[in-house]
Formats: sequence, structure tokens, C-alpha cells
Amino acid sequence: MAWHKSTSLAQAMRSLRLTPTLSKPKPSLSRTYATEAEAASVPAAAAPEINFEAFTQKPARIIPSSPSYFSGSPRFIDHVLQLESLQAKYASLPTVATSDAPRMAWFKLPQFRDYVGEPVPMKKYKSLLKILQRLNRIQPEIRPNEVQTTLSAFLRPGNPYAVETIPRTVDEHGRARGKGKRKESTAVVQLVEGEGEVLVNGKSLVEVFKRVHDRESALWALRCTQRLDKYNAWITVRGGGVTGQAEAITLALGRALLLHEPGLKPVLRKAGAITVDARRVERKKPGRVKARKMPTWVKR
Amino acid sequence: MIIRRTCRQLLALSQRAPVSSRFQSTLPETPVTPVQAVQTSPKDEITRPENPLLEMVQAQAGANTSAQQEIAAEESHRKNFSKLGTTVRTFYDPENVIRNPPKPSQISLEMLLAAQTHLGHSTSRWNPQNSRYIFGIREGVHIISLDVTAAYLRRAAKVVEEVAARGGLILFAGTRKGQKRAVVKAAELAKGYHIFERWIPGSLTNGEQILGHCETKVVNALDEELPDFKADLADRPSLKPDLVICLNPLENVVLLHECGLNNVPTIGIIDTDADPTRVTYPIPANDDSLRATCLIAGILGRAGEAGQARRLKMAQEGRTTYQPIKAEVLHLDPFTGQPPGGEGQKK
Repeated sequence: MAWHKSTSLAQAMRSLRLTPTLSKPKPSLSRTYATEAEAASVPAAAAPEINFEAFTQKPARIIPSSPSYFSGSPRFIDHVLQLESLQAKYASLPTVATSDAPRMAWFKLPQFRDYVGEPVPMKKYKSLLKILQRLNRIQPEIRPNEVQTTLSAFLRPGNPYAVETIPRTVDEHGRARGKGKRKESTAVVQLVEGEGEVLVNGKSLVEVFKRVHDRESALWALRCTQRLDKYNAWITVRGGGVTGQAEAITLALGRALLLHEPGLKPVLRKAGAITVDARRVERKKPGRVKARKMPTWVKR
Repeated sequence: MIIRRTCRQLLALSQRAPVSSRFQSTLPETPVTPVQAVQTSPKDEITRPENPLLEMVQAQAGANTSAQQEIAAEESHRKNFSKLGTTVRTFYDPENVIRNPPKPSQISLEMLLAAQTHLGHSTSRWNPQNSRYIFGIREGVHIISLDVTAAYLRRAAKVVEEVAARGGLILFAGTRKGQKRAVVKAAELAKGYHIFERWIPGSLTNGEQILGHCETKVVNALDEELPDFKADLADRPSLKPDLVICLNPLENVVLLHECGLNNVPTIGIIDTDADPTRVTYPIPANDDSLRATCLIAGILGRAGEAGQARRLKMAQEGRTTYQPIKAEVLHLDPFTGQPPGGEGQKK
């Protein structure tokens, strides 16, 4: 690439004095007349049409595709500049509050990196998101099409905010399914109308929970609403200890009961049967004996 | 006494005269009652087309939603009342130097003075190599000679124009806060390239690694892209600029060093504390004032614009001011100079 060497300017200067690149075709010396008899038996094929566009089809230079080529991340910077120019152009349009702006699922950082194909740092992507959010705050009724199309280019595929959660109901066999968690335990309860039979992992309640307190708390949702003899429960519990399992069942049972009788919600809420206890064991940290306990102080 | 009487008579005559004229006038005088006046006035307002309220109502009729109506109403309100008040004719618009930068032919000492290009650094921080650009000392600060600045700026503008006219890649680098818009605008005018964030060290000396993934294209003399040659660009070495314009050489030591290693000429704004030998074409000026750097970047951008226009005009006539790359050369392997898959590559 001659223009990258130091002598490029000198060469370019020299090229000024060169003959023009377009030259006329030379007329052929031998000439035939229409009246002459044809010498060759096979007539020569006609010359191809003159290509007037030869000059425009000749390569001249190799140049970068983007004006931000030398920054190392040209696509990202082009996006930022485009968004900034849009923001400046429509700065005077009225805006709505952030809470009233339509909810948009922008690219997550890894998705955006795939989209531009460059290693974009988190901080820079956040600054880009800020511009997107400002543009999104322009009043939706008068938002220009240009802004709309630009913004939609930064949305991740599929709209996660369009999916509505389907409310759970009792299935065709009259079963209500509820899940609950407490500490390390997970419980799944299948609740049907019946005579008050309870099976925990295929065993009776007394076999699984030796303590009366645990049995009480496991069936607390039924007991506090006086429905112990009106439902049969088929329970699966996994993980954790006895207390955790019992209280996981409480939550799962409360949730399953709500599907049968939604009117019980205030009672169950007040009784604490559908309140989630989100406490978990705190992790141990390095430099400490337990999660928070410091090692005993030794003088030396 | 006689004189006084005649005077009185004369005065009386003169007082009577307007009364007589009243009787003589053909138009009968009809006093307007206040009730009538009140009745007529609203009709007049409605029929008058220049009524601002009416225009607002008409503008609202075209809009659909309430928000659009509001905006239309605001606009018509602004239109009607913008003529009121005073007009300020001479004022300083800080955006103007970025939006509409001056041409190199418009450089004047007044313009440079207004942009504070003459202010250097405290005398204790000076680089003695800059003594030939320094006009004097004022309040412990070096003052750069404006006529020297103008001369060097004109020379730099000429360099930029000639490089642009020969199809060179011009890189504008201004990495200080606030220089971004000026740098982008100058690059846009000169059809050049810009850097307003950190220069990644090694972009020239280790370009394969840092700029290898950035896209390039093959263009013809009229700057139209030729997509047929896209396949030949895969293994090409990364591009290097033909001219670098650095607005803050003190912070871009690495950039200038790499340019020196790669024989890339540089233009730099040299303040009194900078080393003028670091750049090929120094412009002695204040590099700490955004006004000064924006002005200089704008002028150089305009120079590049003129050069590009010249080059494209020549291309329209079928001439190029540079050695165009040939299609055969594009197809050759850039490292061995042999056709791809040939003997040269095997060895």
C-alpha cells in the first residue's frame, strides 16, 4: 500500500505530472472496405460495447468504513454518536416521567457485545443506555419515527414485558398445586377436597414429624381456617431439616388452599401461612470462623 | 382703549372661526354611544385574520392528540410573540465555532485573540524551545505571538488541504473533555477520522491486534464503495493515517511517538510548555482553552473540506492526484506479494 509509506506524498506529487489515466484507443492501421470480398470465411465477432464506467469500477484506495476506525471500537462509537445527535435534535420535545415511559427491554451487556462485535466495557454501555432512556422518555404520542426505529434496534429479541403470567387454578381433577420453600427445604403440596388425610413423602404425618410443634406448623394453614377434615393433602418435601420441611409445607399448603378458596387470603395472611420467610443461612467469609464470627485474638 | 377693543373683537372672531367651519362641514356629527362601541368590538376581532388566538385555534384543529395540540399552540404562540421585544445583534454564540467554523482564508489576528489563542503558561513552566513563538510576558504568563500563530495555522491548513486533495487519511485527535464535538465536526468536514477518547497504545505499531477487526472498504476515485473487492480485504494489514492532527500533544505522547516511529506526519497545538519537536508542523497556540482548540480544529476541518472537494472535482474529470491501487495488487497476498495459494506462500 503505497500511500502508507513515507514516500506517499512524494509519489502523489509525482502522479500529478503523470499522463492522464484515460487514453484514447488507437485506430487500427489496416483498414478494410465494405466493397472488398471477405478474406476469412468466419466473420470476426463484434467488439464488446464500450465501458464508459471503467473509471468508476476501478479501485482507487482502501479506506476505513467508519470515521471512528482508529478508536478500536468503531461500531460502538458510531452508535453513540448517532444517538447523541438524535438526542440533540429532539431535545426540545416534551418528555414524560421515567415511570410513565414505555418499558423497554434493552440489550444486556453480553448481547450488546455480540450485536456490535466489539468488547464494550460496562461503563461505556451504561452511558449509552442513559441516552436510550432519555430518548425513550420523549412523549410516546409525538415520538418521531426516526427515534422509534433507532430505539427498536437496541431491544433484545422477544419482549419479556409482553408475557403475562397465567393465574394458577384448580385443575380438572380438582387438584390444587402449591409450592413452598423455607431454609433449605422445598415442599410441593397437591390439595384435593376429602376427609383430612395427609401423606408426606408417602408416609403419615406422625411418622415424618415426631414433634407435635412441627405437625401443628405443617398443617397450620388448614388448622387456622378450620378445614382440617375437608381436604386431603399429598405432600412431597425435599432437603433441609425437620423444622424447615414443616414450615415449607405450611407455605405450600397455604398457597394450594388459596387456589381452592381465594376468599381465605386475609385470614391466611394474618395467620402467617402464606408469608414467605426469605431468610437463608449466611455464607461463611474468608478471615472469619463463621459468617460473622472473628477468630479469637491471640497476642502473638 | 380703542386698540384694546379692536383686539378683543379680533380675538372673538378667531374663536368663532372653528365653530363656523363645523357648521360648514358636510358630514353630520353623530356621537358614538358606549353601548354601541361594546357591541361592535368583538365582531371586529373575530373577522381579523391576524388574531393570535384564532391562529392558535386553527393550528389546534390540525393536530390529533392533546399533546400535539399543545405543541402546535406553543409554536404559534412563539411565532406571534417572537417579534416583540428587542433584537440583540452582536453577541457571542459559543456553539457557532463548532457549527460553522471559519475558513483558513478568514483567519485574522482579532479572531485568534478573541479565541484566547495567545495565552501561554506561567513563565516557570516554559519550554525554551518555544522562545521564538513567544511575544512577551504579562502578569507572569507567557503571551504567544499572534502573527506567528496565524502564519503557522495557515501553513497547517495548507498541509491538511493538500493531504486531503491527495486522498490521504487524516486523523483528528482531541482527547480532552469538551473537545469531542469539535473533533467530530472537523473530521466530518474533512472526511477524515476522529479520536475523542483514549488513544489505544499500539494502534499503529501493533495495528493487527488492535485495529484488525475494524472494517475497511475499497473505494473508487469518486469515493464510492466497490463491494466486489470485499473478499480481498481479509488479510490486509490495518490502515495507518497519513496525517495526524493532535489538539493536546501533552496528553498524547504515545500517539505522537507511534506516529514518529511510523513516519506519519503530525500537526499539533504547541503551548509554551510543550515540546515543539514532537510534532512535524507545530501551531503555537493555547491548548488549554476549548475556544482556541475548537477554532483551530474547525479551521483545519474546513481546509480538509476544500481539499476533498478539489480531489472529487478532479475525479469527476477522470484524474487522480494519487497512485490508485490496482485490482491485481488487491488480489495479491499483501505479505508475500504473490497470488494467493502460489509458491511464495508455500515456502
